[in-house]
Amino acid sequence: MKAYIDNIAHEINKGETMLEFVRRVKGHDSIPTMCQADNLENFGSCRVCSVDVALQKDGNPKAMASCHTPVSDGQYIYPNSDRIIKLRKNITELILTDYPADKLKPADGRKATEFQETIAQIGIPEVRYPKGENHLYLEPDTEHPYIKSDLSQCINCYRCVRACEEIQGEMILGMSGRGFANSIIKGFDTTFDLSACVACGACVQTCPTEALTDKYETKTIIADEVVRTTCTYCGVGCQLDISVVDGEIKGIQAPIDAEVNAGHTCIKGRYAFEFYNHPDRVKEPLIRKNGKLEEVSWDEAYEFIATKLTDIKDEFGADAIGGISSSRATNEENYLMQKFIRAVIGTNNIDGCARVCHAPTAYGMQKAFGTGAATNSIYGVGITDAFLVVGANPTHAHPVTGAKLKQEFMKGKTSIVIDPVKTDLANLATHHLQLKPGTNVATLNMFIYYLIKERFVDYERVNSRTEFFDDFKKQILDLDITELENITGLRKEEVREAAIAYGSADKAMEFHGLGVTEHYQGSKTVMLLANIAMMTGNVGKNGVGLNPLRGQNNVQGAADMGVQPHQGAGYMDVEDPDIQTYYAEKYGVEKMPEKEGLKIPEMFDLAIDGKFKALWIMGEDTLMTDPNTKHIEKAFANLDILIVQELFMSATAEAADVVLPASSYLEKNGTFTNGERRVQRVNKVVEPIGNSKPDGQIMVDIMNKMGYSQKGYDAELLLEEISGVVPFFKGITWDRLATNGLQWPVAADGTDTKILHEEMCKRGKGRFHYFDYKNSPELEEHSAKFPYILTTSRRLEHYNSGTMTRRTDNQLIAPNDYLQINPFDAKTKGIADNELIRIFSDRGGVKIIAKISSDVDPGVVRTTFHQPEVFINMITGNVGDMETLTPEYKVVAVDFEKLN
Amino acid sequence: MSSKNLRALSYRKGMDDNLFDNISDLSYKNGSEEEFKELASEFHIGESVVLGTSTFYDFLRPENVNKKVHVCNGTACMTSGTQDKLSESLKNHFHENEIGHAACLGHCHSNSAFMYDDKTYTVNNSDELAEIIKSKSEKDNKYSTGTNTTPILSEEIESVTKFYSLLKNWANNKQGIIDNLKASNLRGRGGAGFPFYFKLDSASKVDEKQKYIVCNADEGDPGAYSDMYLMEQHPHKVLFGMMVAGLTIGANTGVLYIRGEYPDSIRKIEKAIKQLTIRNLIGENIFGIDGFNFNFKITRGQGAYVCGEETALLNSIEGLRPEVRVRPPYPTVEGLYGKPTVLSNVETFANLHWILQNSGEAYAKLGTEKSKGTKLVSLDGYFNNPGVFEIEMGTPLKTIFEEFGKGFKSDVKALQIGGPLGGIVPIDMIDKLTLDFESLGENGFLLGHASFVSIPVDFPMIKFIDHLLKFTADESCGKCYPCRIGAKRGHELVAKAQNEDFKINRELFDDLLETLEIGSLCALGGGVPLPLKNAMMYFEDELKQYFE
Repeated sequence: MKAYIDNIAHEINKGETMLEFVRRVKGHDSIPTMCQADNLENFGSCRVCSVDVALQKDGNPKAMASCHTPVSDGQYIYPNSDRIIKLRKNITELILTDYPADKLKPADGRKATEFQETIAQIGIPEVRYPKGENHLYLEPDTEHPYIKSDLSQCINCYRCVRACEEIQGEMILGMSGRGFANSIIKGFDTTFDLSACVACGACVQTCPTEALTDKYETKTIIADEVVRTTCTYCGVGCQLDISVVDGEIKGIQAPIDAEVNAGHTCIKGRYAFEFYNHPDRVKEPLIRKNGKLEEVSWDEAYEFIATKLTDIKDEFGADAIGGISSSRATNEENYLMQKFIRAVIGTNNIDGCARVCHAPTAYGMQKAFGTGAATNSIYGVGITDAFLVVGANPTHAHPVTGAKLKQEFMKGKTSIVIDPVKTDLANLATHHLQLKPGTNVATLNMFIYYLIKERFVDYERVNSRTEFFDDFKKQILDLDITELENITGLRKEEVREAAIAYGSADKAMEFHGLGVTEHYQGSKTVMLLANIAMMTGNVGKNGVGLNPLRGQNNVQGAADMGVQPHQGAGYMDVEDPDIQTYYAEKYGVEKMPEKEGLKIPEMFDLAIDGKFKALWIMGEDTLMTDPNTKHIEKAFANLDILIVQELFMSATAEAADVVLPASSYLEKNGTFTNGERRVQRVNKVVEPIGNSKPDGQIMVDIMNKMGYSQKGYDAELLLEEISGVVPFFKGITWDRLATNGLQWPVAADGTDTKILHEEMCKRGKGRFHYFDYKNSPELEEHSAKFPYILTTSRRLEHYNSGTMTRRTDNQLIAPNDYLQINPFDAKTKGIADNELIRIFSDRGGVKIIAKISSDVDPGVVRTTFHQPEVFINMITGNVGDMETLTPEYKVVAVDFEKLN
Repeated sequence: MSSKNLRALSYRKGMDDNLFDNISDLSYKNGSEEEFKELASEFHIGESVVLGTSTFYDFLRPENVNKKVHVCNGTACMTSGTQDKLSESLKNHFHENEIGHAACLGHCHSNSAFMYDDKTYTVNNSDELAEIIKSKSEKDNKYSTGTNTTPILSEEIESVTKFYSLLKNWANNKQGIIDNLKASNLRGRGGAGFPFYFKLDSASKVDEKQKYIVCNADEGDPGAYSDMYLMEQHPHKVLFGMMVAGLTIGANTGVLYIRGEYPDSIRKIEKAIKQLTIRNLIGENIFGIDGFNFNFKITRGQGAYVCGEETALLNSIEGLRPEVRVRPPYPTVEGLYGKPTVLSNVETFANLHWILQNSGEAYAKLGTEKSKGTKLVSLDGYFNNPGVFEIEMGTPLKTIFEEFGKGFKSDVKALQIGGPLGGIVPIDMIDKLTLDFESLGENGFLLGHASFVSIPVDFPMIKFIDHLLKFTADESCGKCYPCRIGAKRGHELVAKAQNEDFKINRELFDDLLETLEIGSLCALGGGVPLPLKNAMMYFEDELKQYFE
C-alpha cells in the first residue's frame, strides 16, 4: 500500500496515522503539533497538524488533522500547502490572543519550551485581533512542594489532563467550564497541594508550555550534560535523564525511549534527588574513639578495620565475621562484598537486605522452577487477560508498574487482588479477597481447590511440564473448605468466583509483593503461587507467569551476585565441593569456605551469645528496618566491631564503630537488575560528595589492604569478571547493555531473555508442593493478650527507612507515619481521627497518630515505617518465614490505646 | 480515542446507575462538594471529572441550578422580537436571579416562549402569564401539521401491539432489514444525510456482546421542532425504529437522548414506553423471538447544543464532558461506552416502520434521485400557518411556503434554513430551490434539519451574524482551537463593530472564517462560516459599513 507526500509515493505501514506516516518519511519537523504526544491517545484539539488530502494528484483537497486520521492507500497528502501553512499561522494567531506576549521566546539562559519551538517553526504571526477576553489574569499556584501551575500560559491542549488519566490513572487534572471559559482544574477545583495529586510529574513533562512546571523548572534547563541512569528507588528500574549544570543536578526527566518506563516515572524518581548533596551527608570516615565517632582519614579507617578483622579472625575464626550487603548498591558492589567476605575473610556469612523482603521469593521459585526470578516481563501487562495480585501495593511501592496495572484495572480487565487492605488496586479490581492477615496459604488452597473443582487445570501442560501434581491435587481435594472459610474470613463463593475468573482467562499474570513473603509461611505461599501458574498453563509465554515486585532497586541483582549465605554468585551451592573448586579458581584463592553461612537473624542471635564478633553493613539501616529493635541493639552492643557504609548517620550508623562515607547512586557507575531480570546501566552523574567513595571502591580498597589483589572499581571491568563467574551473565558487557539493558539469562552472543521457561524450566519439570495452613506462632503466643493484628507497608513518598526521601521535599508531603484503624475499632476504643495514641506489643510500645480508615477490616491495623520518630520496629517480633527467616512484618499481635 | 478509563469506569456501573444522571440529580439538589466527591469515589473517578461535567451544562452550572424560569433565546424567538417584553413581564413574578435562558424551546411557531415548572409555554399577554405562574397547568403546544404525499411519518397508528408485530416478520431476516434500508436509500435526517443502512451493516458485523442503539433527540437547532413533533405525536414510530435497529445488530438497549428543553417530549416518550411495558413488548424474548431482548433508557440533556454532535452526545450519556471525539473509531465500532452503537436522529428511526412494512423500493419511489422519501419541515411564526409538515423530497420551497405556510405575516428578506449552521437564503432565491440535500447544497446552502427561520426586512443582518457567532461561542465545547478561540474572537469583532468606533479588517475576518471552516474538529465550528459567508455575499450593502 502506498500513499503520496507532495506527489511522491511512499509505502505505508498498517494502522499508521497520517502524522506518523509523514513524520516517518520526512522527519519529525515536517508537521508541527501542539496537543499531540507520542505517549498519549490522539486527541485532535489544536488542529495545527492539519494537512491537505486529495484523492488524486493535485485534486480538490480537504484539510484533515493528521494526528488522528489513518492514512489510506492512494491518498495524496500535501503537508505544507499554502492553505495549510496559512491555517497553522491563523490558528497560532488565535492562540496568541490568549497567551502572554512575553513568553513567545525563551527567557535568558533557559531552553525553549516545546510550544516556543513549535510556534517558531510555524512562524510567529502578528496578532491582528483587538484585545479581547482572555485568561492572562490567572494567578499561579505555587503551594505544592514540587508542582506549580501558571494557567495564564495554558493553551488548553489537554495533554496534562490526558497524562493524568492515561499514564498515571489519577484524574486529578480535569477541565471545567465550556468553550472559551474552559479551564484546567485540579481535583474539585483546588490547588495541587490540596488535591490528591501523587506528584508523578507526568503532566509537567508533557505540558508544552510553562503552564505546568516543577520546582526545578526542569523542562527549560540548559544542561551542560544530560546523563541517563537507572533510578534507585524500587525494582521497576526506571530510566532517568538527569540534567547537570556546573557539576550539580538540576532536574530529572523520564526518557520516552526507555523500554521500562517510556517517559514516565514517580515522585521519588523524578523529584526526590536533593538528598544527594544534603548537608547531612557523611563526608569523612569516622571511628569511634572514647565513645564518640570522630573524623579520620581513609588510611586510618582501613588500617583500623584490617587490623581488627585480622585479630578477630585469628582469635575466633572467620565465621565470627559477617557482612550484610545492600540491595540498593550495584551488582558490581554486591559481587565485591560477597567476594570479600568469602574469598578474603573466608566465610559464607554474607547476607543482604533481601533477607527482610524477597528471600522467600528466590527460595520458593527455585523450588518450583529452579530459577528464583520473575518468569515474565512487565510489557506482558498489556496483553494478558487477567491479573492476580497478591500482597502487593504497587501504586505505592512500584509506582510505574502500579500505574500500568491501574490502567488495565480501570478498563475492567479481570483482576483479582488478595490483600487484607483495600489498596488502590483492590478498589478497582473485579475481585477483592480481603483475607485475614497471615492466611495466604489457606486462601490460595481454597482458590486452587476451586480451580480444580471447576475444571481449569491444563492437563496437557501439567503432564508434560510438571511433576507431583496428582499428590498435590489429592491433598487439595481433601481440604475442609468450611474450615478454611473460618480461617481466612472469606466466603467460599467469593473465592470460587475469583478462581473461575482467573481460570477462564486465556492468559493470566500473577504479581506478588511483601504481603506474600513477609510471613511465617512466606516461601510456601510463593510455591503455591507457582502451582497456580503451572496448573493453569500460565508459564512460558507472553502475558503470564509469576512476577515478584521487587522492593528495592537491586534485590534481584544482590541475590544474583551471591549475597546469601547458601549460594554464591550465580546461585551455586556453597556446600558443594565442585562449586567450591569453581569459585576458588575464579577468585584465585586456595580454598573457599565449606559450610553455609549465617542468615541475618542468626548473626544477631550468635552476637548476643558472644560467638559472632564483627559485622560489616553496606548501606542498610538495619536497626530501623529489621524487626524487634531492642533485640538488634543488644546484638550490636555485643559486637567487637560494627562497620557501616552509609550516606547518612542512620540509626545503624550511630551505633557503629566505624562509619565509611559512601557515594550515592548518582555518584558512581555500575548496574542494577530490576524485577524483570533486566540488567541496566547506572551511569555516574556527579562526582562523589565530600570524601565519600562508591561502596564498591571501599570494598576494593579493603580487599587490597587485606592482601587480596582486586582491580579498581570499574563497572566495565567488573562486568567482565562477573560474566566469567555467573553463567546467566555470560553475554553481558557494558557496551551491550546500551540504553535499555538486557534481561538475563544472556547468551554469549548477547541474546537476552524476555520470558523464562518457554520450553522446560531450569530444574527440568516444574514441581508442585502442597502445604497445610499454619497459624503464625506470633498469633498463637500473643493474640490472647494483644488481640489486634498490625500489618506494615510503605507509602509512595518514602523509601523504606526514609534516609534519602526524608531529606527531600517528599517529607513535606508525607511528614508522618500513622496508624490506620477501622472506624468500628476506633469507636470501641474512643479514638478520634488524627489523635496521637499508643500501640504496643509483647516487645514494647510506640506513639503514633491514628487515622480512621475503612481500608482495613476491624481487628486489623496498618502502618508505615519511614519515620524514626515512630520507630515501629520497636514492637515487631521475631517470627520469620519457616524456610528463609524473613521476618513476619505483616502479622504482629498488638493492642493500642488512647494516651492518658 | 481518549478517556478510555473514564468510559470503562462509567460503564461498570451500567445504565441503571448512570453517571450523568447521578451528576444531574446531584446538581439539581444543590449537592455539596462532599456529595460530589463521594459520587466520584463511588465511580472510582476523579473529583475533577464530576466537576468538569457539571460545569459544562447550562442547567447544571452552580449559577444556574436555582433558576426557576427559562426564557427562550432561540433564533425564531429572537427575530420575532417577543422576548424582551416577556422577560420584563416575568420580572413581576420572579427575582432577576431566578430567570435564566434556554436555547430554543420548540415554540418557534408562536414565540414568546419560556419554560417553567418543567413545562414549556407561549404567552400572549400578562394575564395569561400570571395564570400560568399561579396554576402551573399544562398547555398544549399548538401548531399546524399536514403532508403533501404518502404519510410515512405522520400517519396515525391503529394498535400499538399490531404496529410492533412487524418485528416478527423480520426476526429471522436481519439481512433483509439491511437490504431494504439500502434499497430505500434512507439518509440520516439529522442533517449530515449519511446512508442509514451503512451504520446497521457496520455495527452488525462487529463481534461484541454489548451493543447499543442511540436516538439523537437533542434537537438543538433553534428553529427546528420536527423531532419534538414526532416524539410528542408519533412516539411509537421512533421507538419501533430503535427496536428494529436493535434486532438487526443485536443490541439490547436503546437510549433516547432527549434535550431538557423538551420536557413534554420526555413525558410523552416515557408514556409510550409504559404502553410497551404494559403490553409486554419490551424486556426479554420479545414476541417470543428467542434472544431478542430490548429495553429503553431516556437520558435527559442538560442544556448543551454540542450534544447534538453524535460523539459529544455519547460522551454525555457516559457522564463525561460532551467534547467531540476524534473519528475513527466511528460509533458503529466504538460508540457508547466504547461498544458498537448505531446512533441516528429521531426522524431517521421514525422512517423504519414504513420502509419495512412497504419495502425499500416503495420508499425509494418517493423523492428525488438522491434524496428519497419525505422530510419534516418546521416553519416559524412569520408564516401565516406555522407548523411541522411532512413534505416529499424534491418539493419546491415555494410550494411549501404557499400551500403549507400560507405566505408570510410580514415582509421577510431571508430565511435561515437548517439551523444555526444552515445557509442564509435571500428571499428572492427561494423560487429556484427544492426541498432536498442536493438543491440546497449545490446552491451554497444546506438542507440540515429543514427548519425555516425568517429574517424580517427590518431585522439588521449584523445582529443576526452577532447572534450566530455568540451562539457558536456559547455552545462550543472548547476542545478544538479554531472553534473555542475563533468563535469568541469572531463574536468580539462583530460586537465591537456595532458598539464602538471600530471597523472589522475584512482579510482578518475571511481568515477567521477559513480557519473555522477547514480547521474545526466538528460541524459546529466548521459549519458557522456558511451562513456568515451567505450573509456577506447577499447582504453586502447592509454589512459593509461594519468593515474597513
